[in-house]
Amino acid sequence: MSEREKLLRKLSGAMFAAFEMQLYLDTHKHDTEAFKSFKEYLAIAKKCKEEYVERFGPLTANDIYGDTRYEWLNAPWPWDNSKEAYK
Amino acid sequence: MWQYQKKLQYPINIKTPNAALAKVITSQYGGPDGELGASLRYLSQRFSMPYPELQGLLTDIGTEELAHLEMIGAIVYQLTRNLSIDEIKKSGFDSYFVDHTTGIYPASAAGVPFTAAYIQSKGDLITDLHEDLAAEQKARTTYDNILRLCDDPDVRDAIKFLRQREVVHYQRFGEARQTKWNDYGGAADKTA
Repeated sequence: MSEREKLLRKLSGAMFAAFEMQLYLDTHKHDTEAFKSFKEYLAIAKKCKEEYVERFGPLTANDIYGDTRYEWLNAPWPWDNSKEAYK
Repeated sequence: MWQYQKKLQYPINIKTPNAALAKVITSQYGGPDGELGASLRYLSQRFSMPYPELQGLLTDIGTEELAHLEMIGAIVYQLTRNLSIDEIKKSGFDSYFVDHTTGIYPASAAGVPFTAAYIQSKGDLITDLHEDLAAEQKARTTYDNILRLCDDPDVRDAIKFLRQREVVHYQRFGEARQTKWNDYGGAADKTA
């Protein structure tokens, strides 16, 4: 697994955990433990996202921190097989 | 509004193309219990939902279904790369190929194009939540059937993730229905 894939997996894991808490909070909005957990996962995701964007390019078209040119169109796109996109 | 994130919710990396499997899995793209219907159902129903909890839940699950639609598209796309004409003929994928080549098109495995008749948006909280509970179970059964028909570990891994999400959504919709049933009192004229 490439460094990009490893970091993307870590980011996706944190975002997924945060999203799972979000759905739970939609039906349990007074659960303070769940809200605490939601915030913790969001903080991990934020950190991973910053590192990912800096090293491998934008996740949204607005992620242009420090870029001198438009990087949004660079491969790979999410539906590409990551093993093949970097051949 | 929405903002696109250039990533899948769960990674898809399929090593072995398999057109016969692609034809079956495409049903979860545009078939009767597929992800396109799921996202349109929830994102349409939410407008008339009377409680913020339900507006939020339908917005969030409807958004996740769009991410699942993208995953199914990625699976079908990766399963249909580098096929020979011989493989296309032998696999039975020729009936899809003749109309769409290897483009991703919302239709059922039997080739019926997507139709909004697959979904309902009734403007009634209880009716819509029951539709949603049934929809999650129908999608779960379809994923179970795909798992019965599929032995490729790369594909099974992603399908098992998607199957599990149906179970979680069913759970959340069930909680929403139980919470709101008493408030609503079953009377359709209370908030209409």
